[in-house]
Amino acid sequence: VSKDLDCGDCLERLYAFLEEDLAPDERAAMGTHLADCAPCLDELEAVKRRDAVLAKVRECCGADVAPPALRDRIARLLPPS
Amino acid sequence: VADTFEKDALSYLDALYRTALRMTRSPADAEDLVQETYIRAFRFREQFRPGTNLKAWLFRILTNTFINEYRRRSARPETAELDDVDEYSLYRRMVGGAAASSSPDPEAALLDGLVDREVIEALEELPERFRTVVLLDVEGFSYKEMAEMLDIPIGTVMSRLHRARKSLQKRLYELARDRGIAAARAMPRPGS
Repeated sequence: VSKDLDCGDCLERLYAFLEEDLAPDERAAMGTHLADCAPCLDELEAVKRRDAVLAKVRECCGADVAPPALRDRIARLLPPS
Repeated sequence: VADTFEKDALSYLDALYRTALRMTRSPADAEDLVQETYIRAFRFREQFRPGTNLKAWLFRILTNTFINEYRRRSARPETAELDDVDEYSLYRRMVGGAAASSSPDPEAALLDGLVDREVIEALEELPERFRTVVLLDVEGFSYKEMAEMLDIPIGTVMSRLHRARKSLQKRLYELARDRGIAAARAMPRPGS
């Protein structure tokens, strides 16, 4: 495996990487590429945002608010202004 | 003069609380966890670098406090592992070259029939390290921010979120199917 993985190789192997099906050296090369490659990260963030399951979870979890009593307790931690 | 740091920090209270609630799965523990997070944030405020992401900084304190102090005394036993699940994923579709289709998503239509409570329960059943990445995604953090917050490689964040999503997909699909939503959606509409 070449140490210099390009973005095409990266996306091609992405599924195997996510499934943890790659050999250790391939896995390491993917990890290095993903940590530094802005275009790949941008693409993967976009995929994440489009995902229906995650969108559903975001929609269902976003509504809870802190109880007023907790808000008061936190406010009392602040120094008097 | 009103303190901007403290005011800004307080603006994330709801986000911290709802994340703590899903992490601890207990309203009382969630309140304690959030209070402890703010105590630490105010105590160590010099460590925050102005101009960097305050929300990420606060969530880092929240997740570290949870991992170090609350995890062990959780009222509900944690599931240790995820089952292996087969799936038809967006990642696979993307890798196969058919990504970014704007056609109506049958998966989204199926999920529309589920209520919040069912989705939240499915999320709360996930093992903690998988649940955490989903919760951070809910709050809008990127893979990179999650990796920094949890001190793990970015690839590990990605595989955790991928596996969490697969497990949720399976659970939610089963719920929908059991309620007959899947069957109803699959029926041809008369006269069309």
